[in-house]
Amino acid sequence: MKSVKISTYILLIVAIILIVNILSDNYFFRIDLTEGREFTLSKATRNILSNLEEPVTINAYFSNDLPANIGNISGNLKDMLIEYSQRSAGMVVYRFINPNEKETLEQEAVKNGIQPVMINVREKDQVKQQKAFMGAVVSVGDRKEVIPFFQPGAAMEYALSTAIKKLSVTFKPGVAFIEGHGEPALNEISQAYSHLSVLYQVESYKLTDTAEIPANFKTIAIVRPTDTIPPMQLKRLDSFLARGGNIFLALNRVDGDFSTTTGKPVSNGMENWLLQKGLSISDNFIVDASCGAVNVQQQQGNFMMSTQISFPYLPVIKKFGQNPVVKGLESVNLQFASPITFTGDTTKKFIPLAYTSEKSGSLRAPLYFDIQKQWTQNDFPMSDLVVAGIVEGKLSGDMNSRLIVVSDGDFAVNGQQRGVQLPPDNVSLLVNSIDWLSDETGLIDLRTKEVTSRPIKEVADGTRAFLKWFNFIAPVVLILVYGLIRMQVNRNKRIKRMEVNYE
Amino acid sequence: MNTFWIITKRELSSFFDSLIAFIMIILFLGFTGFFTWISGSDIFLIGQASLRSFFAIAYWTLFFFIPALTMRMLAEEKKSGTIEMLLTKPVTDRQVILGKYLATLLLIAIALLFTLPYVVTVAKIGNIDAGGTICGYLALLLISAAYASIGLFSSSITNNQIVAFLTALFIGIFFHFLFQMIASGMKGLVGQIINSFSMTVHFESLSRGVLDSKDLIYFASVIFLGLFLTEVSLSKRNAFNG
Repeated sequence: MKSVKISTYILLIVAIILIVNILSDNYFFRIDLTEGREFTLSKATRNILSNLEEPVTINAYFSNDLPANIGNISGNLKDMLIEYSQRSAGMVVYRFINPNEKETLEQEAVKNGIQPVMINVREKDQVKQQKAFMGAVVSVGDRKEVIPFFQPGAAMEYALSTAIKKLSVTFKPGVAFIEGHGEPALNEISQAYSHLSVLYQVESYKLTDTAEIPANFKTIAIVRPTDTIPPMQLKRLDSFLARGGNIFLALNRVDGDFSTTTGKPVSNGMENWLLQKGLSISDNFIVDASCGAVNVQQQQGNFMMSTQISFPYLPVIKKFGQNPVVKGLESVNLQFASPITFTGDTTKKFIPLAYTSEKSGSLRAPLYFDIQKQWTQNDFPMSDLVVAGIVEGKLSGDMNSRLIVVSDGDFAVNGQQRGVQLPPDNVSLLVNSIDWLSDETGLIDLRTKEVTSRPIKEVADGTRAFLKWFNFIAPVVLILVYGLIRMQVNRNKRIKRMEVNYE
Repeated sequence: MNTFWIITKRELSSFFDSLIAFIMIILFLGFTGFFTWISGSDIFLIGQASLRSFFAIAYWTLFFFIPALTMRMLAEEKKSGTIEMLLTKPVTDRQVILGKYLATLLLIAIALLFTLPYVVTVAKIGNIDAGGTICGYLALLLISAAYASIGLFSSSITNNQIVAFLTALFIGIFFHFLFQMIASGMKGLVGQIINSFSMTVHFESLSRGVLDSKDLIYFASVIFLGLFLTEVSLSKRNAFNG
């Protein structure tokens, strides 16, 4: 009888605990204690949400019966959408739709551009393939933006916020990419273009000698001009700066040719113009011990062997300044770069953005590339050469304006047709620069939010070994020391007690 | 309150006097230290100024370490009969249980305290995330508290230490990874509920640096349930003997 009572008592308690836990799933509070507030909506998102003028509807097409590890994504998305809805004071309305429920819903999802993915599900000891929908449609009025697939662990907030921003911004600031002097067309910088077109009206623009640059352009980008830019057109750039416009410039001062293995200086009439702005890009080649590799064909017996050889003329930049433009960047690959120096006066401010490594050098052009050269320490006597920077101040006229210069013209160019796939940080450097110049600083934070890297400092091998063994051994030694002290104290106590007994 | 504190102190000093504490702490620090610093995915290999790898390793070592601490707590007293002496003293069952439980927790806290050199080192060689690190330690303390209550319960149902140890591990395995494994092959609400039973899910959520009421309530529930069942099991024994 008594045991029956106890078991009902236990069951009751267990039931209460279960209910409390299930309720806690719906009513919860969260404090994000991470330094970067990695798990909290960013300021950029909050800005976007508080500026919403029209209601935003988000239809999340999520299959209901997904395995728990994937099902978590819909949980996370739901948590996030709750935050979105609260932050926007109800302007964001969301709905979860299960396309597997009805044929019509599935068709609706596919029609909206959400493609199912196939996943493995274990059911009754058999592995089955199942169609799963994990996407969302964000709509404002009759415009809509599709997020076809949320990847586990991906930048969910970025996807949602950019979609909302894209729909809610009625006015996109204009960004002009200059053409006409051998610069790549927009389709040759496809990766940067697709990022930029989300938030900007990206257009190509031909400078002329007479016509002023249209007022709708806030930022102008000049990427890898190869032909000379006539002085009259540079005047147009000056008057653009004079009215507060900003310029991004990626310029080659040296160029290499692999077929002849020679490198030579190039010039396109911008040198003097840059000098007026306080910048001098020397026509030297930077060599850097931190570098990319080139494929070299070598004759080995009857075979042609292709080997990768480090090529210090292709610096890999890993050291960045403290500006939002380069925040979160880890490595940018350059193809031939030159050192930038600031020669301006106090009316202008220079902010270096990217540096070469501790082991770098600068070689006078023209030169021959010696692919087989054995590079030694002595070839890299310099360090921290600036390869990208910002000049701001009164660059022309009385208005403050900004100019970002990168001393490699090709770093963000994909090339014609499909082109090459660029390292993500190369694209980010261009896109962040345009964002920063166009004064959308909040979005830079959002874009780099997923990059939460906290690298440890470079330590010498000896120090590293010491730290490793110190941390392994020190705690154990500490506890042993404590043990010995305790033993001694106890022994003293015992001796005292014995003395007392003799008295 | 006072009696319960006396029991805690007595238990803690018996841990240290019997050398068990030293052996266990040295084993714990040795294992975690080895995998955090010397081998496997150690901090220098990952190259990130974060103690996430330490937390992940400690999560596993504590899983084995705690049942070994708790196995003798009640089982031995029952075997040697000293539990009768203890329980016939003017102390309640609850005071005995809480006293022994707190002693275990303090011992674990002391063991974790000895890993402070890790924090100092990582903070020196990189930019450590203070909030995330505090949450990580909190998460370790909470899973320790949960496993200690499971261990105490296992110790209360048998008078054989080995059986107590194995029972605690067996129950622990479910929380540690079986629930999550089962849930990953299951669909819908049931899968989600079973997934939310998993200690790992809550540990990961907390140790990434977010204090979430969901996780705190979960840990509190497991701790409470373990201690509650321990008390029931002890009182049942009293009933039989009385």
